[in-house]
Amino acid sequence: MGLVFGLLLIFPVYMLVISSLRAETTVFDFNLLPTEFELANFKDAWSNSSLPRSILNSLFVSITVTVVALLFHSMSGYALARFNFPGKSVIFAWMLSTLMVPLTVIMIPLYLVTKDLGLSNSYAGLIVPSIFNAYGIFLFRQFYRDFPKELEEAGYMEGLSLAGTFFRIALPLSVPVIVPLTIGFFLANWNAYLWPLIITQDEKLWVVQQALAHLVGGGYFTPWNVVLAAAVIAAIPTFILFFVAQRYLVEGIKMSGIK
Amino acid sequence: MTAYGFLLPNIAGLLVFVFIPIIYAFYVSLHDWNALTPKVFSGFDNYKQLWEDTQWWDSVKKTLLFSIIYVPLLFFLSLLSAVLVHAIRGKVSGIVRTMFLLPFAITSVISAIIGMFMLDPRNGVINHLLNAVGVGSQQFLGSTTQAMFSIIGVILWINIGYNMIIFLSAIKEIPRDYYEAAEIDGATGWRAFKSITLPLLRETSTFILIVTTIGSFQALDQILVMTHGGPANSTEVSVLYIFKQGFELLNMGYASALAFVLFLIIFSLSLIQLKLLSSKK
Repeated sequence: MGLVFGLLLIFPVYMLVISSLRAETTVFDFNLLPTEFELANFKDAWSNSSLPRSILNSLFVSITVTVVALLFHSMSGYALARFNFPGKSVIFAWMLSTLMVPLTVIMIPLYLVTKDLGLSNSYAGLIVPSIFNAYGIFLFRQFYRDFPKELEEAGYMEGLSLAGTFFRIALPLSVPVIVPLTIGFFLANWNAYLWPLIITQDEKLWVVQQALAHLVGGGYFTPWNVVLAAAVIAAIPTFILFFVAQRYLVEGIKMSGIK
Repeated sequence: MTAYGFLLPNIAGLLVFVFIPIIYAFYVSLHDWNALTPKVFSGFDNYKQLWEDTQWWDSVKKTLLFSIIYVPLLFFLSLLSAVLVHAIRGKVSGIVRTMFLLPFAITSVISAIIGMFMLDPRNGVINHLLNAVGVGSQQFLGSTTQAMFSIIGVILWINIGYNMIIFLSAIKEIPRDYYEAAEIDGATGWRAFKSITLPLLRETSTFILIVTTIGSFQALDQILVMTHGGPANSTEVSVLYIFKQGFELLNMGYASALAFVLFLIIFSLSLIQLKLLSSKK
């Protein structure tokens, strides 16, 4: 029973893959077996669209956001877990409250603010507003609260400063929280469609999801086999992550469920 | 000092990109403004307009329709999946879990594209399958009555896996002895599920229900790609209406008023969520 349901759930992915290998005239044929092997579709998808550039853009944006977010979030999480200073609980509560404000709710004013900062239609506009969220801060704080103090004390003995102890000792030992967050941040940014759609006009800045959406809604006709081949190409990075790091992906999902 | 230094980037970022936009939305909502000419102060006119705007209230109805169908279905299907996956023993269980989780790796735009392809009114595989069992072809995304359901189906499909994993990890934490004790009392299968599993999943269930409900007000990516609100506005949910007012009609003042109202609704729902979750602990 579970197996049947599972097969049902992967059926659309299966259809995507086998149909992306069919010719334009046979792409809709009612045949559930892989019948053709039309690799030319992938060549067409690659050369006749903004796909290659958009994939590079997406990689650049996703990786930059992930790296910078991990750095900022870990620093804040560490400060909230380890240091005592006036206003700590207020700052933490305020940060958490921003979790209740999803992008769809603030897309209009966020666009206006970002535009006023001169960041619209630029890589900075794609990257900078995507860096900040309380979710990573929260998970890092949880992690550092349970982090053994002895290791850091050894750092102070060696004459390291507070910041030095963090960067040299605590951060390198944070792999258990960094790995699931890296996957989570990367996937979220690779998946991003709404914000890039709002903040970019220039086709050169399109991210991969925009390039894909354009193929089915751009006003001119792209054959379905080519559209599907493009979708398969765009899905490759997430699928690689999925199969290589499924364990950590599951770990990350569980962590999000505990908050 | 180090503490403030460590916190500064995030405080500044959250301030500029979350907090200020909310306040700015309220400020802009008090103006008549098309983003090109200077703002003209108009008091609460935008809120009055909102009150009388039948298309806005229509979009609210569409949003509620979406939530009322989507939330219980997602809840039920992911709980069922978790139970089914949990029941599978041995090597197959890992493979089945992967099958359930795989759609989670599909991005929202790709899910929309697959949906459009499979639900094609003339040649889509779903219609082929329907024809094979003697049912006539359906319009799906081209029909005012079916488009919303088609979109719900696509969004359900890619979200079951994530919620299934959360349910599954909660089910795995239930001690085996509970079920063994129940078995001695003659409670197995459905009765064991009803009297042990379900009550012990209450906290997880609350979490999933509330997160899903709030998420359901925000479904936009797939709708933008698959129907853009059509046909005949039948899939124009509130966030899409706001999107169109702001970015297509450039009614920034009015769109800000709508967004501010939506913010208040979602923020209060989230507060209720926090209350419910923290009272359980």
